[in-house]
Amino acid sequence: MARYGMVIDLDRCTGCRACVEACKVENNTPRGSFWMHVFRFEEGEFPNTRVWFMPRPCMHCDNPPCAKVCPVGARYKRDDGLVATDWKRCIGCRYCEVACPYGVNCFNWKSPEKNYYLDWQDPELTARTNGAIPPYKNPDLEGRYGPEQRHVAGGGHLKGVMEKCTFCVHRVEKGLSPACVANCPLFALHFGDLDDPDSNVSRLLREKRSFRLLEELDTQPRVHYVGSGHAPGAEARQIEHVKGRI
Amino acid sequence: MKTTRRTFLKGAAGGLLASRLLGGKLETLTAAPAPAAEAAGEAWVPTTCWIGKQDCGMLARRVNGRLVKLEGNPIHPRNLGTLCPKGMAQIMAVYDPNRLKTPLIRTNEKGVPGQWRQASWDEALSLVAKTLREVRARDPRRLVWQKGRSKASAFYDTAFVKATGATKLHHGAFCSDAGYRACEYTIGLHGVLHPDFRHTRYLLAWGWNLTGAGGNKLCWITWPQQMTAARERGMKIAVIDPRLRGAGPFADRWLPIRPATDLALALALCAEVVRRGAIDRDYLRKHTNAPFLVQPDGYFLRRDGKEQVWDTGSGAPQPYDAPQGQPALEGTFTYEGQILKPAFQVLKEHLAQYSPEWAASICGVPSDHIYWLAQDLIEHAMLGSTVVVDGIPLPYRPVAIMAYHVAQQELGFQLTRALLLLMMLLGSIEAVGGQRIDFTWKLHENFKKLDEIEIKDPPYNIYLKDSKFFPINSNNSALVAKVMQDPAKYGVDTLPEMAIVHMANPVLSFGSKPDIIEGYKKFKFVVVIDAWLSETADLFADVVLPAATLEKYEGPLSATDQYTDAVALRLPPMAPLYQARGEIDIYLDLCEKAELLYGKGGYLDHLNQALKLKGPYALPLDQKPAVRDIFDRWAKSQGLKEGIAYFEKHGVWVKGSIPAKKYYGYAQEPPFGGIRHRLYGESLLRYRDTMRAKGAAEIYWRDYTPLPTWRQPTMEGSPAQYDLYLISYKLIEFKQSRSSFIPLLAELAPEQRLDINPRTARARGIADGDEVWVESHNAVTGETRRVKVRARYTEAIRPDTVGMPHHYGMWVHPWAKGQGPAASELFFTGEGYVANTADQSFHVKVRVYRA
Amino acid sequence: MAVQERLERLPYGLGRFTPAWYALAGVLLALVALGAYAYLRQLIEGLIVTGLRDLGTMRGAAWGLYITFDIYFVGVSFAGITMAALIRLLNLEALKPVSRMAELLTIIALLLAGLVILPDLGQPLRGIVNLFVYARPQSPFFGTFTLVIAGYLFASLVYFYLDGRRDAALCAQVPSRLQGFHRLWAAGYRDTPAERQRHARTSFWLAIAIVPLLVTAHSTLGFVFGLQVGRPGWFSALQAPGFVVMAGVSGIGLLLVVAAILRRVLRLQEELTPAVFAWLGRLLLLLIVIYLYFTAVELLTSLYAGHHHEVALTRALLVGEYSALYWVSMGSLVLALLLLVGQVALRAYSIPLLVLSGLLVNVAAIGKRYLIVVPSQTHGALLPYGVGWYAPTWVEYSIILGLFALGTFLYALFVKVFPIVEVPAVQGGKR
Repeated sequence: MARYGMVIDLDRCTGCRACVEACKVENNTPRGSFWMHVFRFEEGEFPNTRVWFMPRPCMHCDNPPCAKVCPVGARYKRDDGLVATDWKRCIGCRYCEVACPYGVNCFNWKSPEKNYYLDWQDPELTARTNGAIPPYKNPDLEGRYGPEQRHVAGGGHLKGVMEKCTFCVHRVEKGLSPACVANCPLFALHFGDLDDPDSNVSRLLREKRSFRLLEELDTQPRVHYVGSGHAPGAEARQIEHVKGRI
Repeated sequence: MKTTRRTFLKGAAGGLLASRLLGGKLETLTAAPAPAAEAAGEAWVPTTCWIGKQDCGMLARRVNGRLVKLEGNPIHPRNLGTLCPKGMAQIMAVYDPNRLKTPLIRTNEKGVPGQWRQASWDEALSLVAKTLREVRARDPRRLVWQKGRSKASAFYDTAFVKATGATKLHHGAFCSDAGYRACEYTIGLHGVLHPDFRHTRYLLAWGWNLTGAGGNKLCWITWPQQMTAARERGMKIAVIDPRLRGAGPFADRWLPIRPATDLALALALCAEVVRRGAIDRDYLRKHTNAPFLVQPDGYFLRRDGKEQVWDTGSGAPQPYDAPQGQPALEGTFTYEGQILKPAFQVLKEHLAQYSPEWAASICGVPSDHIYWLAQDLIEHAMLGSTVVVDGIPLPYRPVAIMAYHVAQQELGFQLTRALLLLMMLLGSIEAVGGQRIDFTWKLHENFKKLDEIEIKDPPYNIYLKDSKFFPINSNNSALVAKVMQDPAKYGVDTLPEMAIVHMANPVLSFGSKPDIIEGYKKFKFVVVIDAWLSETADLFADVVLPAATLEKYEGPLSATDQYTDAVALRLPPMAPLYQARGEIDIYLDLCEKAELLYGKGGYLDHLNQALKLKGPYALPLDQKPAVRDIFDRWAKSQGLKEGIAYFEKHGVWVKGSIPAKKYYGYAQEPPFGGIRHRLYGESLLRYRDTMRAKGAAEIYWRDYTPLPTWRQPTMEGSPAQYDLYLISYKLIEFKQSRSSFIPLLAELAPEQRLDINPRTARARGIADGDEVWVESHNAVTGETRRVKVRARYTEAIRPDTVGMPHHYGMWVHPWAKGQGPAASELFFTGEGYVANTADQSFHVKVRVYRA
Repeated sequence: MAVQERLERLPYGLGRFTPAWYALAGVLLALVALGAYAYLRQLIEGLIVTGLRDLGTMRGAAWGLYITFDIYFVGVSFAGITMAALIRLLNLEALKPVSRMAELLTIIALLLAGLVILPDLGQPLRGIVNLFVYARPQSPFFGTFTLVIAGYLFASLVYFYLDGRRDAALCAQVPSRLQGFHRLWAAGYRDTPAERQRHARTSFWLAIAIVPLLVTAHSTLGFVFGLQVGRPGWFSALQAPGFVVMAGVSGIGLLLVVAAILRRVLRLQEELTPAVFAWLGRLLLLLIVIYLYFTAVELLTSLYAGHHHEVALTRALLVGEYSALYWVSMGSLVLALLLLVGQVALRAYSIPLLVLSGLLVNVAAIGKRYLIVVPSQTHGALLPYGVGWYAPTWVEYSIILGLFALGTFLYALFVKVFPIVEVPAVQGGKR
């Protein structure tokens, strides 16, 4: 059984947020949902300023605080390392969200169909798209995944349930890398089997210095950062916030 | 459950190429057995990105006729299977219900937000054709055609302009055209400056907003990809920019230069390189006019119409192309009572005034840093070394500059000349790892044309072509707006009446919004072709024609990444939405209605010429073709037997690596095709003298100097209270000023902002996030303009500089509302705020105070 | 008719609804209706109508007023069952008169605590089903639902039922509209010595069982927060004992208030002597002192040795965005403490001052609960998302107000249908 993980090369990230958009389109996440977020940081004072970028998907922890607290087992750890959310079981208590130290959970505060940025109820448009909302709705997200056959793919499903990065389980099970990884223009994101010593991710971890976020909490993330950078400390100021609030 | 090992299918793309870049193996991963046959009705259709400039290849995932996702085409050399955030988000724009759905005809007066009635294509095109015929019949000069994002080979609009005889207005004068003119004039190549990333070891990122946008010729993905690969090989980057944010973490050295003083720094670097003798004499002697003898009046010594060099052997002048002899680069010679100096000697003496200490005081950076920079350049230039590429021994000078939008300043033309001089001195022009300008060696007609301009007497045309004001002229439509307000001042007697604005939004996109608005008020009839109701259409259009976004045919589009030869087409992955149509369809129908389609000299004839369709491939001149057929003929004429079907299958035709022979100017036979690069711009001096003789004011001719010469930018004449410099730049989230309403992108960068150093802000009592007024001042006219915007603290900008992204300010689309003003409202155009080539400057002095 | 007589001597009439009562009930039910309407809006629109938002890029708080009041209500429930158990175990005869009103407080508070969970859930119907079907003991919520809602509420109900059986039997002897209800409650109880003894024994063991349940239940609620390693301000071993003590503070405080109101409204001056209040006051004083000690320990730890996130959060509480609420809460607590210390020192107890203390500690309790729940979310991000913000909306306020009104209504209704203080024994009769 493969144990998937992600390796992010900070020496290559230009902070463009193309991964963010790839995720949003692939997973049909509604407004304000950022399963993948890219931090843009500034440190130091002029002229000794440093600007750097850090993509932040779900960490898919091996010791996931979110799955621990879920009262109904909707959030769970899969054998292949993915931390999944069963949107058909979630009761919307948001305990996973407050337990997660990485801020990766996105709740459907309103009906996703009313939260897709634009009013898509245009007769000329719906005639062409069979009424799909959003018009680019991904048909792969409704299905069941994994040996346990649960509803864990994609976003924008239902009002009042929690969603988050799935590592694009619907793509991974087809042998594709997650949408963010596949699209990264700088090839800064890598995905593969951390247990396979020949995988790209394992090789990168051997060749470059690496760290994980909030390692001191022992959440054991499956997302590793490589390169000359460091985890953001107290001096890192986030610049260029996204419009997250809905 | 049985699992098998298999390669990533589609990640294929990114994964494979990433592995190649990283020198690793194919990425593998365990997966379920191959999925069942693709769901019925599912297909991946190749097309080309529509939103950006560099036309990245895309595959559209289509399920039952509905587009579900756009992904990068893995075989496209420019994007290697990836897309930037704009490319990825454009699927939402394609389906935007706020797109123009039908042709619209205005029902209220112009200059205020439009009221419209929907019209049929037939009615709208008939109205446009009728007006077009009338206007043309009176005087074709009364017709103006303007395009914003002219994408790649713009054959169909070239043909339209030729068929109608319209005056074409560009957007380049707002982008980088001052740099283009300087490169065409100096080196003979069409482009600005970029490195040979596979070999460059040291790069001056001169105002290169590498994480945000731009770079020479391409809009984004390709350059950062090549840059990161080069850095992994050990390339170092020195960033010269008032703002660090653009370079992100990729700056090995940052020189936070004062805005608009780049020329001073470039000259100081030239001076230091010359002082240390780190110059490529061989190149200068053989391939530039550096040895040409200059008379005391500044003109070359000519005998029998031929420029002369000083032969050190015979101690006498001889024609520069004499087969023997050792031309002198330095020294002062007297011949027949005349004091003669090689152009290089003139340059050397000219540079003596520009020391690093002098530049430090002007540029606001420590002089040590200028010495370091010069040291780095000299060290990495590896003067004298050669390398064999494709079996050809070539000079190896792995230093280069990436400079593009930085050309857009008052001294932009001469700044680019100075950057070229620096690279010429180091011998890096077209050397391996050296300075690139175009993708391949292709001498541009402007090398000759810009040297032989005949400055005329009035009347001038609307953009002052060949005028005593801007003899080298990039055709600036903000200046056109200025001319339209006061034609007499510029000796213009015929104003255009009708404008066709094609995918351009001049009201917001270009500098000096108030001037553009005043200018556009003078047009009697304005047609806008666009996918959305632009602000220009809202205020001025009489007729609006809805154009398709990416669901149309367009091309041929260059797909080269500077190392691979490739060409692509834009293909419709679905039929146009609503009643929108592809532009070629629109022009075909419009020309038919205007009786300009058929026969010799008609649109079809010009299409044939523009696409070089000859013989069996030529379009018959008596029947309107299907657009797909035009491209099919073109593809076949290029030797693709399958015709357009090849592109419908692959999206891009990758022809293979560009051989050194086609790539490096040095690899030509003879090198550089035998031309001599213009170290010394003699014709600039000639223009200067002619302009003065024809009575042009100093403000027009002062920068026509044979060697780049520093002067204070005009904006420094603003009163002391305007104590900050305003610069403008682009965000990675948006393309020009046309995409800030795409909701997926607007969410990432929700509103306009003023980047301000916290020290500067606190001194003014401005907190992070406060609303402030930014007030700009025109040092020539005394005019002031102001906008209200939110201040954002950043330590990545000089304390004497503030910055605003060049986006926002739109008001028609629901998502554009409330985003804040456009930066273009604050910039001025006209004297003092355009270069000597009529190129727009994006620098102005401002003051900032709490709102 | 001894029974009739004894009931007559109650200072109010069971089943006798006065215009004033109707007026009160009308107001309360109107507020309940407002809450219901607000909840309906929320059901239709989703939680978007609240001020709650995601942590992370949305920079909000995912838990807010609902959770704040959930732990407040559970806390308040401390009073009744504790009092009942203490009275039984320590044989505190003097306090007997507050016993039933305290137990009722517990039951209603737990009911509200259960109800307020519903609006917090994005999928309330699924919640009701899945929480049982897919229950996971590893989740701290499991403890909340099993121990608090199930065990605690169940134990309280049983205790309350047994305790009221004698009076129900007495009431059932009197013909009235409520006779059926009383008869049902009495369930054949005849108040024989054997029955009395059996009851006494059952409630004794029940009381013994309840004390550890009490501690675990309130601790469990503390664990909901205290076990979260990734939230500054939450991850603390003091969270559980702190919750137990704060529960006591708010529960006893509210009991003081309720007792004083009933004393006045129901003219129970004879039964509820100042000594009862004084006893409660002393207990409250003890709990406040313990709580303040915990607070000091926690503050010192986080300021002295805390990670910079912990320090930043503490700063937000002490001098930053939450300082007003923090100091109002702490001020209320300290003022209550001073009032109580003064009375204890002077051995002079004033019911109004004790009630004031009770009110003050409840203000503090609500404030402190809010300060536990919210700031760790808005100001406790370990990644540099920046500071978040949360402000409850009218929907949240309305639902909370509606629940308070519902609780008050149920209490007011109960005192009209059942003796809230034990029916006195026959003069000279044996106890």
